[in-house]
Amino acid sequence: MEGNLHPIVRLINRNLTISLNMGFVIWQVIFPVIYIFVAGFAYTALIHNVPFGQKNLDYPAFISSGMIGFNIMNSTLISGIIIWNDRRHGMFEQILVGPFTRAQYILSNVYTIGIIGLVSAGLITAIGYPLFFKSVEFNILTVPLVVFASITGAILFGSIASIISTRLKSSEGFNVVINTVFLFFAFVSTAFYPAEGAPPILATAFYLNPLTYLVDVVRAGIFGNFTGTVAYEMVVLVAGAAVLFSIATKLLSKLEI
Amino acid sequence: MLCVEAKSLSKSYGNVTAVDSIDLSVESGKIFGFLGPNGAGKTTTIKLLTTLILPTSGTINILGMDAARYPLKVRKKIGVVLQQPSYEPNLTVERSLEKYGMMWDVDSKTRRDRVEELLAAFDLQEIRKKKNDDISIGQRRRVQVAREFMHDMDLLFLDEPTVGLDPSARRGLLDYIKGKVRDGLTIFFTTHILEEAEYLCDEIAIINHGKIIAVDTPDELKNKFGREKTIKVHIGKAEDVGAILQGVGKYEVSHDEGTVITLHSADSEQALVKILQVLNANNIAVEDLSVVPTSLEEIFLTVVKNSNNNFGGKLASNSSSDK
Repeated sequence: MEGNLHPIVRLINRNLTISLNMGFVIWQVIFPVIYIFVAGFAYTALIHNVPFGQKNLDYPAFISSGMIGFNIMNSTLISGIIIWNDRRHGMFEQILVGPFTRAQYILSNVYTIGIIGLVSAGLITAIGYPLFFKSVEFNILTVPLVVFASITGAILFGSIASIISTRLKSSEGFNVVINTVFLFFAFVSTAFYPAEGAPPILATAFYLNPLTYLVDVVRAGIFGNFTGTVAYEMVVLVAGAAVLFSIATKLLSKLEI
Repeated sequence: MLCVEAKSLSKSYGNVTAVDSIDLSVESGKIFGFLGPNGAGKTTTIKLLTTLILPTSGTINILGMDAARYPLKVRKKIGVVLQQPSYEPNLTVERSLEKYGMMWDVDSKTRRDRVEELLAAFDLQEIRKKKNDDISIGQRRRVQVAREFMHDMDLLFLDEPTVGLDPSARRGLLDYIKGKVRDGLTIFFTTHILEEAEYLCDEIAIINHGKIIAVDTPDELKNKFGREKTIKVHIGKAEDVGAILQGVGKYEVSHDEGTVITLHSADSEQALVKILQVLNANNIAVEDLSVVPTSLEEIFLTVVKNSNNNFGGKLASNSSSDK
């Protein structure tokens, strides 16, 4: 009567089932499409081109590559929402009295956000491709950069969402904090505009934001512009993801029942 | 064979002792009722036995396994319906049953069969397509309990499973549980509704202030603590019944200024003889007579009251010795 699925696979299946509803798909697809095709072309009148490495990108190409990172970040909200909902609706305890360990619960969330992050990145790459195909330089070195950024970024932002979900009890508090934090990440970053030319304080703020590093690495992958700075940004992403993931894991494993 | 065996089990949170050195043993294939007032330690005990929390001291053996050493192995063999609601708000009733079966690694054919069986057994067909968020609290509770039967288990913990259920759903659930026990399942059951415990349980433990204060079969508990019976004597119209009843002597007798005399006594036969003698001597006709057996509820109240008195006494003596 028993199947043979690993507990983590079963939990990922469950996580995806409860997360992927119409609202989430709209949030993940319609919202970026509006940004790419409406804001992208509308702002072209103001921003003719954006220098990037040896290239000059038009604004739709710039913003659609930025939206990949933005969408990875957005998709990881799922991690916090799963944990928060599980606590609110009693499923956290129910899972822990079932055939699962806390470590499996935590890992299943990581894999879930990894999967959603990758699918999100793939989706926006496909949607945005017509806009940046003239400048694209996918090759054996650059594609792994996009995959690396998708997974590391998903873990990093997923950990932030998880940390918030373990600290807050009221739904109002959770929504306000998570939206404020992610709004800051979205707009104080290089996802929508380049750091070059921005006021110095704002440009500095951009680089205090992990989304900037994620977006820069994704762009480097898409437009084939791997430099020493990009390597440094990759290290920052890995370090940030490792530290935040450790904190999230510690908080989750100490979460009182 | 013992399904549950706990020895000297304690759980403290800081200075508060939620469970205080209790011993428990539950035989395989039985329904074990675990009763106690609010905050007595029932849910903490269930959390200990189901490995959700670790004991401060003592040992727990579940289905022959050391629960502290092999918590995951234990959890694979048990089912738990926790006291608090648990549900996936976005899933429909049938999908939440199906997904729960998947989480327990039940193969897809068995899952489909069990979903249908449980939807019928728990009267959930009409709401099968409704989301958990859109159904009533009682319906959600039924889904929560039904869901636990999606997987195989040897021992099921039910922490107040009938809270929020209407009488017919409650009876349906109790009968379903009885059927499962006939098939070999062992049940650890907590409730506040003592008729349920009386209807269902083979053995009952009463916990108060973290300590087990009584353990026995419902009948033995009645024998031990329920010697006092209530006798109601319906009489014809008579004057000055209060004065006449003073002749009954040491027994606790009351009358409602009308035609019913109520008598409480552990020595019910003697008391009845005495009151009939008094009534006869005063030419008062007896129209009806009934002896009300002691319910589990009365026993529960008696045992808990005694325990509270002892606990209060201990607290008083502790505080006076502190001074």
